[in-house]
Amino acid sequence: MKGSILPFEKDLEKSILAFLKTGLDKECFEAVLIPHKIPSDDNYAYLLIKDKTLLQGASPLPPVIPVQGAKAVSALTRWGPSKKKILAVMHPCEIRATVELSKLRQASLDNLVFLSFDCPGVMPLSGYVKNPGEGDPAYQDARQKWESAKMRPVCQTCSEFGAPASDLHIGLLGAEEGNAFLFPASLEGKRIMDKLGLETSASSDGWEREVEKLKKAREEKRRGAHQSLQTRVEGPDKLLETFSSCINCHNCMRVCPVCYCRQCYFDSDAFKLPPENFLARAQKKGSLRLPADTLLFHLGRMSHMILSCVSCGTCEDACPMGIPVAQVFSLVAENAQRLFNYVPGRSKEEPLPAAVYREEELCEMEKPYLETYARTGERDASASENK
Amino acid sequence: MSRDFTPKIIYFMCGWCGTGGSETASAYHLCYPENVLPFRVNCTGSLSSVHVLRAFIEGADGVIISGCHPGDCHYEDGNFRARRRVATVKSILDSLGLGEERIWFRYIAHGEGKRYVDTAAEFNDYIKKLGPNPLKERNDT
Repeated sequence: MKGSILPFEKDLEKSILAFLKTGLDKECFEAVLIPHKIPSDDNYAYLLIKDKTLLQGASPLPPVIPVQGAKAVSALTRWGPSKKKILAVMHPCEIRATVELSKLRQASLDNLVFLSFDCPGVMPLSGYVKNPGEGDPAYQDARQKWESAKMRPVCQTCSEFGAPASDLHIGLLGAEEGNAFLFPASLEGKRIMDKLGLETSASSDGWEREVEKLKKAREEKRRGAHQSLQTRVEGPDKLLETFSSCINCHNCMRVCPVCYCRQCYFDSDAFKLPPENFLARAQKKGSLRLPADTLLFHLGRMSHMILSCVSCGTCEDACPMGIPVAQVFSLVAENAQRLFNYVPGRSKEEPLPAAVYREEELCEMEKPYLETYARTGERDASASENK
Repeated sequence: MSRDFTPKIIYFMCGWCGTGGSETASAYHLCYPENVLPFRVNCTGSLSSVHVLRAFIEGADGVIISGCHPGDCHYEDGNFRARRRVATVKSILDSLGLGEERIWFRYIAHGEGKRYVDTAAEFNDYIKKLGPNPLKERNDT
């Protein structure tokens, strides 16, 4: 892959903003969707910027994910595709979630250009908001070392930090001091770079090598993390203990980019049951925790969205009780997605696994019918008939 | 495992082949264990994963799902879609160690009354060997 070297002026964020400003000047795109510091100075929010002078306060590399970017894009394009070109600066996981949402017809990718960057991970939201002064240096540190225990647990084991299905990508790994590597990841990206007069001749071999290396290390780390998590949550007792502090606020569902349903099944009338139902369950078990169906909510939500789960960790950020929701979902998602060889957000064309099927697959799902058993069954059946 | 453990088994079957199989079984006066509760759905492809999970969490010791043989679906591809859904649910339960082996999926055609009865009996014996589902005793699910 070929790209161009993006030299820093003062720092990387400034030079990305300068690049965006030229893009707006030369009308490569009409607006920019980018994280911006909020007035209270302790968090970020997505802004759709039309006035290029406002760009200078924007933060293309925020240390947190306050609202999943896919939610912002969905809010922008749910009605229909934009007629004007919009550039969105987002973390790779946010772009992947947006791609999944477009497959679910909750966002439109038409006239949308993505700018992504090598993501060092982000910090836990509540921790950052409490003390941004401490968080900012920690984030800078993570961007230097690409390894930091202060980033969120799912970020530390993420291997999809490189270029996802984006149009332009900024490579930070393997770049020389004071340089970043900007390359087009799609035809649209190439067109924009041509229009801006940016050469695409620099080789990205160094970047690719570094990405491969870090990817391997992260995958290794993820295997370890999943194994240790499994020892903590596997089995009914441990799993129920993990989710026992759940206060049924359903925040994890509300902030999840892939959980788009206007009416969640678990908030619907299907879960309004007559008191007799609960009394009967209490009778059977001796007692019943209310509100009931906590585990059913989490497992049911999993069964609905796990194949599109990008492990962005927003659910864990939103959990007021500190339940490792994202880690559990990441563990389950990896196994479920492997079943269909599906990586959410990997490509815009790949259909959702639940929307398609192959006739020759998953043959091991069917329990083979045993002829030997068939004979025993016959004996039993005739025996009971003779009674 | 206590000797007199009678498992509670939910048998989801599609309205065309699965229930057809049970009709054929009744025409031949074949018997299956009384603790297997049949639950008719229009098509296994229309069976929500939440129904399976709800049965599984709230008191069933095992769940079987029967649809038409591949190529036989009344709606062309419902059984293939169901297979993907069952695979997803089983994978979730397996990752969390909740006993995915308590969920079975087996095709049964309209004329296969014998196969239907055998499946119910075989699954019943299998679950008896496994013992009760630990989730059904828990009050905090």
